[in-house]
Amino acid sequence: MGLINDKAFDVLRSIPYLLEGVGITLEITVIALVLGTIAGLFLALCRVYGGSFLHNFAVVYSRIIRSLPLLVIVFMLYFLGSEIINIPAFWAAVLALAMHTSAYQIEIFRGAIQSINKGQMEAALALGMSKYQSIFAVILPQSLRRAIPYWANEATIVLKDSAMAYVLGITELMRRSEYVSARTAQPMLTYIVSGLIYLIMTYAFTKSMAKVESKVRIPGLER
Amino acid sequence: MKGEFLMTEPILRINNLHKKFKDTEVLKGVTLTVNEGEVVVIIGPSGTGKSTLLRCINRLTEPDAGEIYLGEHKIESAKSNLTKVRQRIGMVFQDFNLFNHLTALQNVAIGPIKVKKMNKKDALELAMRELERVGMADKAQNYPAELSGGQKQRVAIARALAMDPEIMLFDEPTSALDPELIGEVLEVMKKLADAGMTMVVVSHEMGFAREAADRIVFLEDGVIAEMGSPEKIFNNPEKERTREFISKIARLHGSDSEMPGTGS
Ligand SMILES: Nc1ncnc2c1ncn2[C@@H]1O[C@H](COP(=O)(O)OP(=O)(O)OP(=O)(O)O)[C@@H](O)[C@H]1O
Ligand SMILES: [Mg+2]
Repeated sequence: MGLINDKAFDVLRSIPYLLEGVGITLEITVIALVLGTIAGLFLALCRVYGGSFLHNFAVVYSRIIRSLPLLVIVFMLYFLGSEIINIPAFWAAVLALAMHTSAYQIEIFRGAIQSINKGQMEAALALGMSKYQSIFAVILPQSLRRAIPYWANEATIVLKDSAMAYVLGITELMRRSEYVSARTAQPMLTYIVSGLIYLIMTYAFTKSMAKVESKVRIPGLER
Repeated sequence: MKGEFLMTEPILRINNLHKKFKDTEVLKGVTLTVNEGEVVVIIGPSGTGKSTLLRCINRLTEPDAGEIYLGEHKIESAKSNLTKVRQRIGMVFQDFNLFNHLTALQNVAIGPIKVKKMNKKDALELAMRELERVGMADKAQNYPAELSGGQKQRVAIARALAMDPEIMLFDEPTSALDPELIGEVLEVMKKLADAGMTMVVVSHEMGFAREAADRIVFLEDGVIAEMGSPEKIFNNPEKERTREFISKIARLHGSDSEMPGTGS
């Protein structure tokens, strides 16, 4: 009995160490999300409004990336990187996650853009706006709002997928959990603790995105 | 009203316009001239190309052949002049197409701001005046989803007017409205016509056509089957087909519909 308590205590005492890993987890997640969102949105615009070259590029890029396991992309970037330009492990992980999520975000933003009634674009053009103005002043403000819940869901996936970075030896939450579990011989308890940390982060993020969503909701409009 | 304005310059000239969608030829050579201050009402069976004709004028639809002139300016799709030409043509759609994420006021102001680069304050003031003109000033801060169909359409008219267009195109502006909301929109259009706006209106509202139109165009099967003053088209059409169609829409829409305060 005392023995279990001691070891359990050992795990609990490692929580600050785990939380430092959370910082790295968040760094990876946020940078990957920012890059992935920019790329995803840009490629979605290419896909919907671009000429045939940009359109096809977005389609092929999305299809290829979405058919690869994330782990394969991580290793590809890491080893490609280490053989040619020597990307640090951290950046290999971030770029892999960014590429991976950008492919899914293309589909999210494409769907959101195409869900806007065609008449909105026509009304903008009829006023004399250029296509570019119509997209940025009329289409995107509406479609980005619609994309929020899907984007938020994708963001939590990126957060969870950032655990993959552990394979490159980055001492984020997952890697540190592994150390703690080995040191304390309490894998179950350790992973319950790190699981809870992931859960709390995901929950807090989802909640705040729901707030954002309702804050920017267009009065009178359903959904 | 009719004939009250001098029919001076032709402002819109459509010459031998053709349009095909895949294999179906929708417009088979339409030629039509609209003079400054004139109100032309286009009627015709469903699918006959009325919307296509209007959309070709501001190039939302690209015609296959034929020329369109706005004033002296040939309308072409070369990007350089298209946005310029569109600014001079107001368009009102059947289903309003108000920008859902903007208030009524912002909907009206966005054209002057984005297209004419007017400063925000002036644009909002202008927008407010346009909303007053269509009786929507009290709803300036409401979003489209908070407005009735008739209110939306009046805001849409104000949005087009804010660009100070030389001509206004209306594509069945009241046909998506509940009957009790049609009157308020027609009233605004009537006022606009009386104020001398050049208008091309696709509509089967007979009351409006009788009162406001200088000319009725009966479009059928991609060509202008008959054209003339409201008296002639409604009372003495040359063609049997025109007569049939008129009596059909009279049955559907009522022979003198929904013009408020006009009881003929
Ligand atoms: N973008 C398009 N692609 C293919 N066919 C089209 C397109 N737009 C219109 N059409 C076809 O062209 C024909 C004419 O359409 P249009 O909308 O101009 O008719 P309309 O006279 O306005 O009819 P309605 O009174 O029903 O509005 C119809 O047969 C329609 O199906
Ligand atoms: Mg139509």
